[in-house]
Amino acid sequence: MIYPLLLLAVVATQDTSAGKQVYTKWCAGCHGVDGKGDGEGARHMIPPPRDFTGNALYQIRSTPSGQLPTDADLLRSIDEGLPGTAMPAWKTRLSDRQRRDVLAYIKTFSPYFADTTQRPQPVVFGSAPGGGSVADALRVGRQFYDSIGCRKCHGDLGRGDGPSAPTLKDDAGHPIFAADLHENWRFNGGGTAEDIYHRLRTGLDGTPMPSFSDLIEQKFLTDEQLWRVAQYVRSLSPKEPPAVRDVIHAPLVTKALPHAPDDSAWTSVDGYWFPLVGQVIRKERWFAPAVTGVWVKAVHTADSIALRVVWDDRSQSPDTAWLAHVGRVLNTLDSDDSTREQPAPWPDQLAVQFPVAIPSGMERPYFLMGSPGAPVYQWRWSSSSRTAAVAGLARGIDRFDPQAGSGPGVRVVYDHGQWRLTFTRALASADTASQLPFRTGRAIPVAFFAWDGSNGEHGTRMAISTWYFLALDEPVPARVFISPVLAMVLTLGLGMLVVWRAQQKTSYRRQQ
Amino acid sequence: MNGRIFSVVGGMFLLTVCSKGDRSAVQAAPPRTEVSAAGGTITGKVKFTGAAPKNPAIDMSEEAACKAKYPTTPTEENVVAGAANALANVFVYVKSGVPAGQTFPAPATSVVLDQNGCRYHPHVFGIMVGQGLEILNSDPVLHNIKAIAKANRPFNVSQPSAGMKTTRTFAAPEVMVNLECNVHGWMHAYLGVRPDPFFAVTGPDGSFSIKGLPPGTYTIEAWHEKFGTQTATVTIAATESKTANFTFAAH
Amino acid sequence: MRAYLKHPFWQAVLLLVLAYLVIVFVIPVLPGSAMVPKSVVLQYMATVLVGILIWVSDDEARWTLFKEPLHEVLIQPRLKAVRTALLAVVTLMVGCLTYSQVKASVAAPPNLRSIHPAPPSQITFRGKTIALVGLENPLRRSGDMAAHLAEGRRIYYQNCVPCHGDHLDGQGHFASGFNPLPANFQDNGTIAQLTESFVFWRVAKGGPGLPREGTPWNSAMPAWEEFLTEDEIWSVVLFLYDQTGWKPRTWEVSAEGSK
Repeated sequence: MIYPLLLLAVVATQDTSAGKQVYTKWCAGCHGVDGKGDGEGARHMIPPPRDFTGNALYQIRSTPSGQLPTDADLLRSIDEGLPGTAMPAWKTRLSDRQRRDVLAYIKTFSPYFADTTQRPQPVVFGSAPGGGSVADALRVGRQFYDSIGCRKCHGDLGRGDGPSAPTLKDDAGHPIFAADLHENWRFNGGGTAEDIYHRLRTGLDGTPMPSFSDLIEQKFLTDEQLWRVAQYVRSLSPKEPPAVRDVIHAPLVTKALPHAPDDSAWTSVDGYWFPLVGQVIRKERWFAPAVTGVWVKAVHTADSIALRVVWDDRSQSPDTAWLAHVGRVLNTLDSDDSTREQPAPWPDQLAVQFPVAIPSGMERPYFLMGSPGAPVYQWRWSSSSRTAAVAGLARGIDRFDPQAGSGPGVRVVYDHGQWRLTFTRALASADTASQLPFRTGRAIPVAFFAWDGSNGEHGTRMAISTWYFLALDEPVPARVFISPVLAMVLTLGLGMLVVWRAQQKTSYRRQQ
Repeated sequence: MNGRIFSVVGGMFLLTVCSKGDRSAVQAAPPRTEVSAAGGTITGKVKFTGAAPKNPAIDMSEEAACKAKYPTTPTEENVVAGAANALANVFVYVKSGVPAGQTFPAPATSVVLDQNGCRYHPHVFGIMVGQGLEILNSDPVLHNIKAIAKANRPFNVSQPSAGMKTTRTFAAPEVMVNLECNVHGWMHAYLGVRPDPFFAVTGPDGSFSIKGLPPGTYTIEAWHEKFGTQTATVTIAATESKTANFTFAAH
Repeated sequence: MRAYLKHPFWQAVLLLVLAYLVIVFVIPVLPGSAMVPKSVVLQYMATVLVGILIWVSDDEARWTLFKEPLHEVLIQPRLKAVRTALLAVVTLMVGCLTYSQVKASVAAPPNLRSIHPAPPSQITFRGKTIALVGLENPLRRSGDMAAHLAEGRRIYYQNCVPCHGDHLDGQGHFASGFNPLPANFQDNGTIAQLTESFVFWRVAKGGPGLPREGTPWNSAMPAWEEFLTEDEIWSVVLFLYDQTGWKPRTWEVSAEGSK
């Protein structure tokens, strides 16, 4: 009787000491040596790293709200990481054995795992309902999206802009965003309809996201209807995470230039996604940008260009409802500044950047807003003066010289957690020394910068992109068709010759 | 025993009963036979000095159904003061002194927490380990109920419509478990989980009474959400009544 | 069926199909492999075709047999439909290919970047001149190694993780926003090939300190002298080698030991 117990104990000790080694080497930098989520990297991350101590609160579980996660749940988070956070997938870095060892070690941080009376029991999940049309499924999903109150935090169109969104914080008081349901590739627990259904059933413990399992038991809705909510939420995001393509192709349009962002002419134009990340290069750095990327479309006429930039933003800053959130963000992050900044009603901003002239070779100005010797040409828009944008030269991240009276035309719409904005300008410029003249058929470097004032962003605290390219496509000239036609005639002629020769030979042989 | 807490909890209970009409009043206040009625009693008053901080007004414009339940703009209940600086919503309990090994079975009846008018009723209350907490939604709006706890398992469940009920229990003593609604950031309730029935919550007049205590020396703690805690030591003989008053300083 | 399998023409067709399936579907799932790019698939298939042609033409009888179905298609009156269809398809394909070749489309200019450009012989670090040639990591010879590594770890997690990542593989949560991608220290082509003085230079001077061939306008690497002291940079360099297990390249010492 004692022998197997002893063996068990020995195995357990071996596992956790091996796990401790892996943990100390790879995990402690963020989660802290003592598992409190207070490692060296922790104060540059929102959401902060998980605290493994105390009551062992985990978001991604298969168990009901309030229960511990299963080993399989924890292993999944280790293996796959948590998308949308700084937690990477570890299955490529650590062996199966190492990941199991580290899992065993993580569990030693909380007394709850030692208590065998707290054995976690996974929820009995329903399987995806079949039958019915997609449209019906989504209609039912939308109906229950409204009736179970998703919009309170996630907003009417799901961009995380609901009325309660500015007040959200996790159990430790850290700021937390209601997920933007249009970006399923950033969902912490995975972006499939099944993942979403599981999160609806279990809730995300430690966050404001509750479990909706009770509603099934109380017959408020059926398991199938909850699945429909998940399918509806899934339908808000693209089928695949957007791929980054380097060159924005701006077709030539023969009709009028679409000045407004919601002009119907935009619907037939290809859209391009560019991810934005924190400005972590120059002081003051910014580790928690709120704008995750921009969708860009462009068209041009014979003499003008229109550039449409669309991005999700939970608020029309400045908005005093978000001031407390800004305070929480600033409190959670360490800053390069020695004094902590006070929240203020900062506006939302966007900047689009080009070189001053289209480069002929590889060389171009520094992507992060140029340098004193090699400035960049920028269009800047701010929500504090919504209908006006300025053009100017940036000579480094902290120096922007606006050019009075030369700003591009701008039209903007804020709609349910999304800014949609169009810039318009003539292709030619009066002052070619400081305003880029646009030319067709060339790869024009372009970069994007965005600030969410309600996330504490202003000045150097922003989201940035690297250089991409804008190409104003030329109409296909008729001469392009000459060589394909020629090649086809030649091929056909040759083919027929071969056939004719072969048939001639055969009939000749037969005659002999 | 526990007269005060029952006047708060039970009173709320009766209110609920009246509005629901599906529960007998007898169930609402069951006798706690396990505690000797002949035991000692600690009574007292809780006051504060200085000016009471103003409770912030609640903007319920997003929830018309809740807003309609108030004739004037409702406020939060951070500091509820009575006449002569009496302090309500103070959780008073026997922190230590109850002989170890003595166990008290949890009452079969649940404590009811009602979400009504986008506020919690009661705002501060006590419950015994293992006793049911019935969370009721009397509002036709979504509430989520998140328990933030250390000794107990935290949880977070949702109630999107009126009439929904969820029952939860707490496995370990903890002063206090915080309950909050994230949809309505102003909604907070505080729940003291005790292994014994020796606790009470002060009423509008600041008074409390803990009954049925066996003879002994006890440390009594008074907890207030804004003013912190205070303790007092009280020694009582059998059937004796003692007084323990607390005075908090408003910051 | 068996007759077809014995026929050299159909054998050749089968081989081509099998080769294509292996290249496109089997190779990517092998450990350590990736998707085969289209141009490479084309090269592989051309090689396979040449091999097959050598094999069938090696034997006169087989060659004749091989040509038979092709010949049939060309002459048989009953195969006229196949003949016409083939001619049309081939002609159209040639037309499309030529069109896609001649159609002008603006592409991103090629990024010709020298990954490890030649370092300068000396740099100025916060006003102090540091000669890079022959420079060793001073922390390897002074103080407590464990303390240096702990310091390097702190600096790495406070500053480098967003881009270079927890794995030190250049895949931090901000990495996707940059081009070129942050350096992958786990790869045998980065710090494993470099001296510590080179790494010190790259950290201290960052993207803006690159020579022209390193495309300094694109690099998101900060010039860390703005944030870190000399010793802090040396300690994070120690940490990079310790955490990845690579050994830095060392300066060759001449026979006299004076160089």
